[in-house]
Amino acid sequence: MCVKWVASASDLLVDPATRTIDAGRAHRAISEYDRNTVEAARVVAGHVGGDLVGLTFGGPEATPALKEVLARGADRAIHVVAPQGARIDGHVTAHALAAQIGRIGDVGLVLCTEGASDTYAHETGPRVGELLGWPVVTNVRELGVEGTTLHAVRVLGDVLETVECELPAVVTVVPEIGPAPIPGLKALLGAGRKPSEQVPVGDLGLPDHALMPRTTVTSLLGFVAQRKRIRIADGDAREKVAALMSGLAQEGVL
Amino acid sequence: MSRAIVFSEVPQLVAELVTTAARVADEVHVVALGQPSAASLDGVASVALLTADAARPESFVAAIAARVAAIDADVVLVGATVTGWEVAARVATVLGVGLVSEATALRRVPGAGWQAERVVYAGGAVQTESWSGLAVVTVTAGFAPAARDVGGAAPVQVVPVEVDARVRVVSRSVRPHEGVDLAHATRVVCVGMGLGSVDDLAIARGLAEALDAEVACTRPVAEDREWLPTERYIGISGVSVRPDLYLGLGVSGQVQHTVGIREAAVVVGINTDPNAPLFGVCDYAVVGDLHEIAPMLTEAIRAVRSGGAVESAAS
Ligand SMILES: Cc1cc2nc3c(=O)[nH]c(=O)nc-3n(C[C@H](O)[C@H](O)[C@H](O)COP(=O)(O)OP(=O)(O)OC[C@H]3O[C@@H](n4cnc5c(N)ncnc54)[C@H](O)[C@@H]3O)c2cc1C
Repeated sequence: MCVKWVASASDLLVDPATRTIDAGRAHRAISEYDRNTVEAARVVAGHVGGDLVGLTFGGPEATPALKEVLARGADRAIHVVAPQGARIDGHVTAHALAAQIGRIGDVGLVLCTEGASDTYAHETGPRVGELLGWPVVTNVRELGVEGTTLHAVRVLGDVLETVECELPAVVTVVPEIGPAPIPGLKALLGAGRKPSEQVPVGDLGLPDHALMPRTTVTSLLGFVAQRKRIRIADGDAREKVAALMSGLAQEGVL
Repeated sequence: MSRAIVFSEVPQLVAELVTTAARVADEVHVVALGQPSAASLDGVASVALLTADAARPESFVAAIAARVAAIDADVVLVGATVTGWEVAARVATVLGVGLVSEATALRRVPGAGWQAERVVYAGGAVQTESWSGLAVVTVTAGFAPAARDVGGAAPVQVVPVEVDARVRVVSRSVRPHEGVDLAHATRVVCVGMGLGSVDDLAIARGLAEALDAEVACTRPVAEDREWLPTERYIGISGVSVRPDLYLGLGVSGQVQHTVGIREAAVVVGINTDPNAPLFGVCDYAVVGDLHEIAPMLTEAIRAVRSGGAVESAAS
């Protein structure tokens, strides 16, 4: 299964005057919903008696992702390493991941989260599937494998669509696929003993065009909320309600 | 002469995409499945009607990509639905081009290709992406008004195609659906996981009734607990609202949720946690238990709306 190492959206520091972002100091982790995906992948791998490989693509800073997927249940982990500061877009990411999946060999199922918490572009899973030439099943909330057949329930707004296809396949999942248990101390310690590997992206033998980003990010500006932030914390409930009511009356929204 | 290709499995979105496409390209070509109704829309130059035996829209990826190549398009616009996300990403991959997902702005830069804006970090930031040559761009519903049906007669070419039938649909079911129009509600009472139990929904419903508000919720309330239908959840993967008043009960206020309430005129949060993130992006931050505050607030609003005066906070 594929994970992405991201800066947490909730603690990006935005300069209110210039709206520039200091993501450098934000807490980093695997994308929030990737935790549910790792667990779902662990369950499926356990059911079919397969090996679970955690895979990530990113700069050298993404290395801690390996330990996190191992602690969450992967049997081994691979980091395809992009050069420090390299420009990466969805096209490049999909080529790197698909090439590495091809090298692993004998892969029956690739799981990705439907969207990452930073870019949320919904593209990596379907792109990887297309490059591998495998069937793609997106937005899945229930997943099962019987023999070589995949059964899945997709969420399409108000419609639940039950589909099936033969493996190998690429599946993207939504967090409702299942919980994301916090790894215990034993799992954390055990993670250090499981095999992990770093593969420079240059070793994958990809042609130049595969590693040439198609889009370039030319600006990134933070959002600054313009709100009054009036705190109503004093007194008992009745007093708080009265304070809120006078505020709402002033706003003219009652 | 620049050309845009438009695709969506949702007819309403096709009409909206035609408007967006006409703003950035000289010619608008539609790739349709099922029905050629786009041919009568204002601004459509041609419709290619792809036909195959009972197939899901996702199985037409190769045919759509072939159509893009045949028209020699400069940009491909796809409606941002779950199906559209997949089709867009796979078509971009077949063509070896970039994808901009859910653009919030799209423009040609004379002599310098294209630019689009999109929201990243779940609404924490806006990113501008630039490219030259072809790219696939997805656009959400409501981004542009639908092109008018002017009774036009753009040429329709029926194209029988091979589809990828490897993914088979076994069944489809529709989840509870009320057709509520949250996006245009003037008041919204939104419940989060602080609610505690499904029975406490009555508290929110009482308050909503007193205010003439719609009841909305956070994603886990709809998707995890299934206490309310998914059409009622607000946020990056749900609905965006722009009411005069948003009242959040037991909503923590993670950015994935609050991005959907940016256009609200007044935002109120009621939360037991004085450090709830919602309090950083709201106008009135009431620190307290919703089970205690909300019923009292309901009474107070009922009293005012039935002709009483607002009790002074100092009394
Ligand atoms: C890619 C991605 C997309 C997402 N999309 C969305 C989206 O579209 N919409 C969305 O909503 N979320 C979305 N999320 C999830 C989001 O990050 C939050 O997890 C979610 O919004 C939290 O919901 P909540 O506030 O109901 O629950 P919680 O975060 O659990 O908060 C419950 C709150 O209730 C308070 N509380 C508890 N008891 C009481 C009480 N008695 N009285 C008052 N307050 C009380 C608590 O202090 C807490 O702040 C997304 C996440 C990701 C990663």
